[in-house]
Amino acid sequence: MSADARPASPTRRVAGAVVFVVAAAVTIAIPLVQPMPAYSLNLLMQASTYAIAVFGLTIVLGYTGQINLAQAAFFGLGAYSVALGTTTLALPFWVALALGIVLAAVAGAALGLTTLRLGGHYLAMVTISFQTILSLVLTNWIAVTRGPDGISGIKRPAVFGYSFDGSGAYLALCIASLWLVGFLVWRLGRSRLGRRMQAVRDNELAAGVVGVDTYRTKVAAFTLSAVLGGFGGGLFAGGFRYISPDQFSFAESVVFLTMALLGGVRSPFGTALGTALLILLPEWLRFLKVVYLAVYGAAVILIMVFMPEGVWGFVAALVRRVRGPSMETAVPVPVLPLTKETAQGDGTVLLSVRGISKHFGGLKAVDAVDLEVRRNGVHALIGPNGSGKSTLLNVLSGLYVSSGGEIALAGATIGALPPHERAARGLGRTFQNIRLFTAMSVLDNVVVGAERPGNLIDGGHGAHALALAALGFVGLADRAHRAVGSLSYGHQRRVEIARALAGNPTLLLLDEPGAGLNHAEKEELVTLLTRLKGHGLTILIIDHDMNLVEKVADHITVLNFGRRIADGAPGEVLRHPDVIAAYLGQVNARAAA
Amino acid sequence: MTFRTLAFAAALLGAAAAHAADTIKIGMVTPITGPAAESGRFQMNGAKLALEQINKAGGILGRQVELVIEDDQTTNPGAVLAFSKLAGDASIPAFIGSIRSTQVHAMAPDILKTAKPVMIGGTDPQLTRLGNPWLFRFRPNDIYSARVIADYGVNVLKLKKWAIVHSTDAFGTNGMKNLTEALTKLGATIVLTQGYTNNSQDFTPVALAVKQSGADVMGTYMTFEPDQGIFAKQLRQLGVTVSWVGSPTTVTTTALKLAGPALFGSFAVVDFNRDSSPAAKAFADLYESTYKSAPDVFGSWTYDAMTILARAINAAKSTDPEAIRKAILATQGFAGAEGTYNFDQNGDGLHGYNIVRNDNGTIVFDKHVEFKD
Amino acid sequence: MGIALQLLFTGLGVGSIYALVALGFVLIYRATNVVNFAQGDFAMLGAFAMVVLCIDLGWPYWLGIVLTVVAMALFGVLFNLGVYYPLRHRSFLPVIISTIGASILLENGVLAAYGPRPQSLPGIFTNQGFSVGPVFFDSQYLSILAVTVVAVALQYLFFERTLLGKKMQAVSQDKEMASLLGIPVALLIMLTFVYSATLGGLAGILVAPILFVSVQMGASIALKAFAASIIGGFGDVTGAIVGGLALGVIETFGAAYVSVPYKDGFAFLVLFVFLLFRPQGIFGERVAEKA
Repeated sequence: MSADARPASPTRRVAGAVVFVVAAAVTIAIPLVQPMPAYSLNLLMQASTYAIAVFGLTIVLGYTGQINLAQAAFFGLGAYSVALGTTTLALPFWVALALGIVLAAVAGAALGLTTLRLGGHYLAMVTISFQTILSLVLTNWIAVTRGPDGISGIKRPAVFGYSFDGSGAYLALCIASLWLVGFLVWRLGRSRLGRRMQAVRDNELAAGVVGVDTYRTKVAAFTLSAVLGGFGGGLFAGGFRYISPDQFSFAESVVFLTMALLGGVRSPFGTALGTALLILLPEWLRFLKVVYLAVYGAAVILIMVFMPEGVWGFVAALVRRVRGPSMETAVPVPVLPLTKETAQGDGTVLLSVRGISKHFGGLKAVDAVDLEVRRNGVHALIGPNGSGKSTLLNVLSGLYVSSGGEIALAGATIGALPPHERAARGLGRTFQNIRLFTAMSVLDNVVVGAERPGNLIDGGHGAHALALAALGFVGLADRAHRAVGSLSYGHQRRVEIARALAGNPTLLLLDEPGAGLNHAEKEELVTLLTRLKGHGLTILIIDHDMNLVEKVADHITVLNFGRRIADGAPGEVLRHPDVIAAYLGQVNARAAA
Repeated sequence: MTFRTLAFAAALLGAAAAHAADTIKIGMVTPITGPAAESGRFQMNGAKLALEQINKAGGILGRQVELVIEDDQTTNPGAVLAFSKLAGDASIPAFIGSIRSTQVHAMAPDILKTAKPVMIGGTDPQLTRLGNPWLFRFRPNDIYSARVIADYGVNVLKLKKWAIVHSTDAFGTNGMKNLTEALTKLGATIVLTQGYTNNSQDFTPVALAVKQSGADVMGTYMTFEPDQGIFAKQLRQLGVTVSWVGSPTTVTTTALKLAGPALFGSFAVVDFNRDSSPAAKAFADLYESTYKSAPDVFGSWTYDAMTILARAINAAKSTDPEAIRKAILATQGFAGAEGTYNFDQNGDGLHGYNIVRNDNGTIVFDKHVEFKD
Repeated sequence: MGIALQLLFTGLGVGSIYALVALGFVLIYRATNVVNFAQGDFAMLGAFAMVVLCIDLGWPYWLGIVLTVVAMALFGVLFNLGVYYPLRHRSFLPVIISTIGASILLENGVLAAYGPRPQSLPGIFTNQGFSVGPVFFDSQYLSILAVTVVAVALQYLFFERTLLGKKMQAVSQDKEMASLLGIPVALLIMLTFVYSATLGGLAGILVAPILFVSVQMGASIALKAFAASIIGGFGDVTGAIVGGLALGVIETFGAAYVSVPYKDGFAFLVLFVFLLFRPQGIFGERVAEKA
C-alpha cells in the first residue's frame, strides 16, 4: 500500500473503475473471440493461475508480514483435489474445486495457528516442514494420489451446458478469475481487516495494544493465502489437464515467493507484475541458455538490495517523487467527542491495582505494588531508572503476565485479558519508543486506533471521521495523508497520542511522552495534556521530567526497586525524604557504612 | 527504383522463397536448461548425426532436413510450452519429443490436438496405451526391462529369491510394479520390496534390509547415479554379496566411476550397447568420430528416431500425418542403434533389452533378450 | 542388536554431517541474526574446488585442502560483501530471500561451469573402514565425527578464552553496544562469514567421498542442518551439535523401522513437534521483545 495514499477524488475513482472494467472485459473477451496459438494459451494459463496463487502471498506476506514458504503445498492441494475429484471421484469440476479450496483453507488455518508462538525464522521453518511433508505424501501415498505418475485426463468445467473445454474459453475463465481475485485483494488492503493486517506487519506489539486481535488476524491471513493458493492450483490442474507431484515442491514455493518479491509484495499490482515477469522472462531469456538460471539467482539478490519494494514499488516511488508532496485540501475537521465519561462523577476509582508483582526469574521488577487511579485527573508514576515503572505499565497493558495481584478497570477485573481485549475495555496507551505503523499513512495509523473493538462509531466512514477529529485535536489534521515516517519525532509522538485518543479511551496510559522532545515541544505536550484533562480524560503518565510532572499531575505514585515508596499529592510526594533519597542516594546509609 | 533493381530484388526474394521451400523442418523438444541439460545435448547430437546422414543421402522428399529445437527446461509446463510453440508452425510435419515419461504425459493432450506424429523416448508403458495414435516409441518400454531382468535372473542366473530396490519416482515405482509381475509369472519369490526417495544420502537401512531378507539376487530401478554409488558401496561394506541385475543407471560411466569395485560383477539391462549389433557398432563409431566421446542411450534413440522418421516420410511420399503414421507402423525388421524395430499397433518399436555385465570395471555385452509380444 | 548398533553408528555419522553444517549456520546467525539458506552450497563449493584441484589438475590432496580453505575464505569475504552487507540494516526477510537467491546463483553457476555429472572424491584414508563384530565403521564417517569434535572444542576455546572470541560474542549479542565500545563490528562480521564459509567448505570436502560431489549435494543437507540447529536450540553451538547428531540418529532409525521413502519427513516432523511445544529447542533460551 502506498503510504502517501491521497484519498481519490470522485472523478478519479470513477475513472479508475471504468479503466478496470474495460481492461477486464477486453482481456477476457480476446481469448473467447480470437483464436490464439496453443503456445500463448498455455503460457497465459500458467501465468494467470500462478498469479492467483501469488496474490495469496500478497495477503500473508505483503499485508501481514508473515513468511509463508508453503504456498506450493496449498497450490498442490487445490490441484490434486480437482484432479482426483474430476477423475477418480467423478465429481463436477466446481465441486472438486470447492473441496480443494476448503482443504487448503483448513491447512492454512492450521499453519496460522502455529503463529501463536512463532514468528520469523521459526515460522519459515514450520511452513517449510509442512511443504516438505506434503510433497512426500503426494509422492508416496500412491493409493490415494497415484504417486509420481501423476494424474492425467483432468476434466474442465461446464456451466449451464456451456463447456469450458476449449482452451480459449478456459483461458477466459482463468483471466476472469484473476481480475476478480485481484480486485478483492486490492479491496482487502483498504478494508478494516487489511488495516489490521498491516498493523500486525508494521508493529505487532503496538497492534495488540491498540485493539487488534493479532493472533486471529494472522490466522485469517494464512487461511486467505491458502484459499488463493488452492484456487490457483485447481484452475491450473484444469488448464494443463495433467499434474505430477514434482510440480508442488519447496522449489515451487520459492518460485512463488520470488515472483511476489520481484514485483513488489505489498501490492496486488506488484505481485501480478512479478508473476508475469518471471513467467515471460525465461521465454525471452532462452538465448542465455544454461546461464539463465544463474542470472536469475543473481537477479534476486540485486532486487533485494536495490529494489526492496520490487519493481512496482520502485515505479510507484518514482511516480510519487515526480508528483511531489501531497497538497492537503482543507477538509472540515470534526470535533473530537472526548467528554462522554465526565458525567461519571469525579474522584471515583477508575483503575485499581492490588499487590501486582512481576518477577523475571529471581529479579522482582515489580514487587506487590498497590495503586489507585481516580477519574478525571492526571496520575503520575515516577521513580529512578530501573524502578519498575515501564514494567508496571506493560503489566497493565497486558504485554506481561503478572506474577501476582489483581487489576480492575471500572470495577471489572482485567488481569487475565490479552492486550487487545483490554483495549476493547477502553484502555489506551502510548509507548516510550514510539510504535507507529511505519508503512501506513498518518490517518490510517489513527483509523486503526479508532477501529478498536467496542468503540462506538457509525460504519466505515465513522472511523475516518473520528480519526480525523483526533488528528485535529493534536493539531495534525493537515498532515493526515503523509507517510507517518516523514514526520518529525515530536509530531510522531502526537500521532501516537491521536491514535490512542481515537479509541475513546477510558484510561490513557502515557509511557514517557516527553522522551526525546525539546523544550518547545514539551511545552506543547503540557498544553495538550492540560486540554485532555480539561475534557475529563483520565491519564496515567510516566515521565522523568519533574517540571512536566509537577505541571500536570494531580496525584503522584513513586516506585523504587519495584516497590511503592510514596503516594499522594504532588506537593507532599516530591518533598518526601524517601523519594529524595531514592533519586539522590542514601546519605545516611553511606555515613553508617 | 529502376526496373533492374526491382527485378534483382524479385530474384532475390524468389531465391529466398525457393530456398525456404528447399528445407523440411522437424521439431525437437529437448532440455537445454535445467538439471537434464547435459542429456539434452546428447539427444541433440544423436538427432543431428542422423540428420547429416539423411541430408547426404538426398534428404526427405528431395529436400534438405532442418532441426528446430525448443527448450523444455526439464519441467512439465516447460515441455508443454515448448511443444505448443513448435506445433504453432504448420510447416513442421513431425516432432521428436521427450525421454521423460511425465513430460510426455503432460504434452499428450496437445499432441492429440495437433494430430501429427511425435517420436518419444520415455519408457512408461502407459504412454502407448493412452489411445493416442500419434506417439511412437523408440526405446523398449519398462515392461520389457522388467521381463528381461526377471528372465535373466531366474532362467540364466538360476536365482529365485529376489529383493527389489527401487526409487519412489515414476520410473522406479513402475519398474517395481512390472518387475513384481514378471517375477511372479516366472514363479520366483520376492522376499523384499524396498523403495527409497531420490537423493537419499544414506542407504544403510536399505542395505540392512536386503541383508536381513535372505535374498540371493537383487533387481533394482534406480534413477540417479549418486544414489547408485552410495548404495553399492554401503551394501558391500555391510558384507552383502547378492547378485545384482539393475536398470540402466547401474552401468553408466558415472556410476562406475562413483562406485568403483562395489559394482564389479553386477548385471544390468540397457537398451543401447555398442556390441549388441552391427548397427549399434556402426552408430557408435560414427558418433565417436564426430563428437570425440562415447555415445549413450540419449544419443542412440534420437538417432534412430530421426532415421526411421525420414525413411517413413520418404516411403509415404508425402508429409500428410496419417500417411507418415502408417509408414512408421509399417517399419518392420529395421536394424537401428537401439535394436531391431518391429512396430506394433500401439506404436512401440522395440520389444527387448540387452544384458550387460560389469567385468572388473569394463562393461561387457552378454546377450540380447527379445520378446515376440 | 547388531543392526541397531550399525544404525546407531551410521546415524551418528550422518548426524555429524548435519552438525558440521549447522555449526556454520549458528555462527552466522549469532553474529548477524541472519539465516543463511546458502550454507549448504558452501559445502558444495568446497567439494568442487577439491575436485578441480585434485582430480582435474591432479595436485596432491593436502595441497588441495590448503588451497580450498584459502579459496573458501576469500569466498566468505565476497559473500559478505555481496549478500549480507548491503542488507545489514534491513529486516530478516530481505536477507533470507537474498541468501536463497545466492543459493540459486551458486548452484546454477557451478552447473553452468562444470556440468551436471556427479564426481567422486577420495577419502582421507585409502582404507574404507573396518568391521567390529556386526558393525562396519566407515572411516570417512569417523573422520567427520573426529573433525566435528575438534571444531567444537576449538570453537569453544576461541569464543570463551580469547579476547577476539569474546568480542565476537559481544557483536552477536548487541551490535550497537559493541560498536560503541570500539569493537570493529563490520570487520568481525566479515570474520564470521569467512570462518563460516571455510567451515562449510571443509564440511564439503569431508562429506564428498560419501555423498559424491554434485550441484545438489548441499541443498538437502542444509535444510536438515537448519532443522537440527532449531531442535538443538537456535543460536547455541552445543545445540547445533546435539541437534545434528540426534536428527541423524532419528532419521536412520526411522528409515529402518518405519519407512524408508518417508525418511526425509522425520526430520521435519520432529522439527514441527519441537516448534509447537518447545520452540527454543533443547538448549536454547527464550528471547522476549522489550516493550
